[in-house]
Order: sequence, then C-alpha cells, then structure tokens
Amino acid sequence: MTVSAPIGAGTAASRAARVEGWIARVLRAGTLLSVGLLAIGVALMSLAGWSPLDKTWPALDLGRIPGDLLALRPEGFLWLGLLATLSTPLLRVAASVVGFLGAGERRMAGLGTAVLIIIALAVVVAQRTAA
Amino acid sequence: MTVLLLLAGGGFGAGIFGSLLGLGGGILIVPLLTFGFGLPFREAVGVSLVCVIVTSSAAAGVYLERHLANLRLGMLLEVFTASGALVGGLVAFLLPDRVLAGLFAILLAYTGATMLRRGVTAAREGAGPIEPGEDPAGPADTPGAFRAALAGPGYRPARLGAGIGGSVFAGLVSALLGVGGGIVKVPLMHLVMGVPLKVATATSNLMIGVTAAASAIVYLMRGGIDPLVAGPTAVGVFAGAMVGSRVAQRIDLRVLRLLFVAVLALTAIQMTLRALA
Repeated sequence: MTVSAPIGAGTAASRAARVEGWIARVLRAGTLLSVGLLAIGVALMSLAGWSPLDKTWPALDLGRIPGDLLALRPEGFLWLGLLATLSTPLLRVAASVVGFLGAGERRMAGLGTAVLIIIALAVVVAQRTAA
Repeated sequence: MTVLLLLAGGGFGAGIFGSLLGLGGGILIVPLLTFGFGLPFREAVGVSLVCVIVTSSAAAGVYLERHLANLRLGMLLEVFTASGALVGGLVAFLLPDRVLAGLFAILLAYTGATMLRRGVTAAREGAGPIEPGEDPAGPADTPGAFRAALAGPGYRPARLGAGIGGSVFAGLVSALLGVGGGIVKVPLMHLVMGVPLKVATATSNLMIGVTAAASAIVYLMRGGIDPLVAGPTAVGVFAGAMVGSRVAQRIDLRVLRLLFVAVLALTAIQMTLRALA
C-alpha cells in the first residue's frame, strides 16, 4: 500500500513533484470526461441523423442540460462536454492553488488566484457585452 | 452523417499533424473549417479554441508527470497570456472577418518560416546558469527568492519583463486566431528567456489550456461556439493527437515538415486572397 506524504512535507523539489502529480491527475480525468461526453454527443448526433452544418445549433441553457441528458438528446452531452473541456484548465489552476498553499508557497498560490480572477472577469465582461 | 465523419476525420488529421510537429492543431483547424466546410472565420476560431484546450489538457498531464514542464514559470506567464486572451476575445468580435483572415495569413507565413528555420542557436545571454548544489526547484516563500523559484535543472529564466510582454501578445494571438499561441510562447521562452527547448515546449503546452479557456469563455457566452461542429472536430483532434504521439518515433519528420510548410504556404495564399476579396 502506498501512503502519500502531505504536500507540505519534504524539499521544494519533492513538494513540487507532488503538486505536479496531483495536477496531472486532474488534467487526465478532466480530459477523459470531456472527450467522453463529446463522443457520446457525437454518437447520438449520428444516430439521430443530424448533420452539423444543416442544423442551427441549440443555445446554451444550463437549466436544460439535465433534461437533455436524461432524454439522451445530443445537445445535452455536447454542451456538458464543452463546459467540461473549458473547465479542465481552470480546475488545473484551482488544484495548483490548493497544492501550492499546502506547500506553503503563497506567491504561487497568489498567481493561480490571479488567473482565476481573470477568468471570472472574462465571464462577467462577456455577459455584459453580450447583452 | 457524411459531414459528421468528415469533420471528425479532418480533426483527426489536424490532431496527428499537430502532435507530430509540436503544434496544437489550431493552425490547421481554422483553415479546415473555413475553406473545407464554409464556416465563418469567427465560428471556426471558437471551435478551434475548444480543440486546442482538449489537446493541451491531454498533453500537459503527460508533461507534468514526466516533470518536463516548469509549472511555476507557466503559472506566472499564464496570468499575462490569460489577460491578453480576454482582451483578444473581446476584440475578435469587433474586427471584420477579412481582417482576421489577413492576420491569420501572416501567422501562417510566420509559422512556415519558423519551421524552415530549425536549428537556430538560442540566444542565452542573461540566462544565468545554476551553481552546482543549488536547489533549482526553488526555496521557501521569501522576498527576493521568487525569481530563483522559477528556475529549473540547469537554467534560470532571464528577461522576465520581455517574457511577460510577449505572453500578453501570445494571448491576443490565441484569442483572435484560435490557435494555442505556442508558436509565440515557445520561441519567447527558449530564445528570449533562455529556457531549454523541451521545457519551453512542455510549459507552453501547459499554459495553452488556460490561455484558450479565457477567450473560449468569451466566445461561448457570446454564442460563438457551435457545439454540433465542435463535438466531432474535438473528438477527432483528440484521437489524432493520441495516434500522433504514438507514431512520432517511426516517422521521418523532415519530409513531414516540408510537406507541412507547403500546406501552410498554400493556406496562407488562400487566406490572403480571402482577406483581399
């Protein structure tokens, strides 16, 4: 049985290696989830006989996604897959912040937080300018 | 059904080429979607950004596990690539398609020239060597130690100011043209900051996901990403990148590179014609 050491323990190099290993797992899981959801959406599109260029694409409506998933509608899987795709790098940054905080590296955690603030700003600005 | 397969197949080809040549694939996806499928330039950029994030996330995990990427340097620079991408994502909706096509033609020409000009000696002045016994991974969180914390085995990044300015530009390019921006970031880190090429490539790949996500969010919220096109293309790109990374050792990259440069040149001409039309 392997017992993981706490992130803050060990030398700077070993701490960094642990944070990197953790982030790599976040990226791998996020990628597999995103591509898996998109692949299901594509398979359902194919079964439904949809041609991507012939249809007007469905608007993103977060409230509709659960219903679309339950009804096995392609758009639900495609939108969720796209959201998972866009979220994966952000989860990576969030994981870095937690990892560096655990390792006592506040500056690096601060940089990660700055990136997340910029992304939040992107959401707000995009919402305001889209309206 | 045919279009669905063609999109996935085109994405697969772009994924293989991108993976073999160390590019994100965006440089091929935008021309594929605009010329091959008649998509408006901005829609093609939105789809391309999604594909770029998928390949970046997949590759970055591997680079981190192998300890090739410099996570600290990446985290510093991506604050600025993300800022550039946010601005670029907003500006992209103000520019006409023709201007974007013209900018893309310039990017294609630059990429082609860069690929032909392999073997350039790195300008490493100012990139301080690490003394034997020094811990390159960085010390504790103390004032003045931040720069040292960005160092890696055998190198210490130089010219941080230039790196930061170049990163903002890389973010702008990524958001406007739907590419990962590696074509800017890798030479910036390698030639200007003195980071070893392999580390620069891995670190750039790590940063691409966040850079592209910052602008992709703007595209998504302004209705600029078509999920019906993005789905099959992204799945194809992912599969192509996986295959490409496995066959890379068995392929003569010199021939492939020349072929790729020819494709880039033809696409650049077509983009220029589109810009001037």
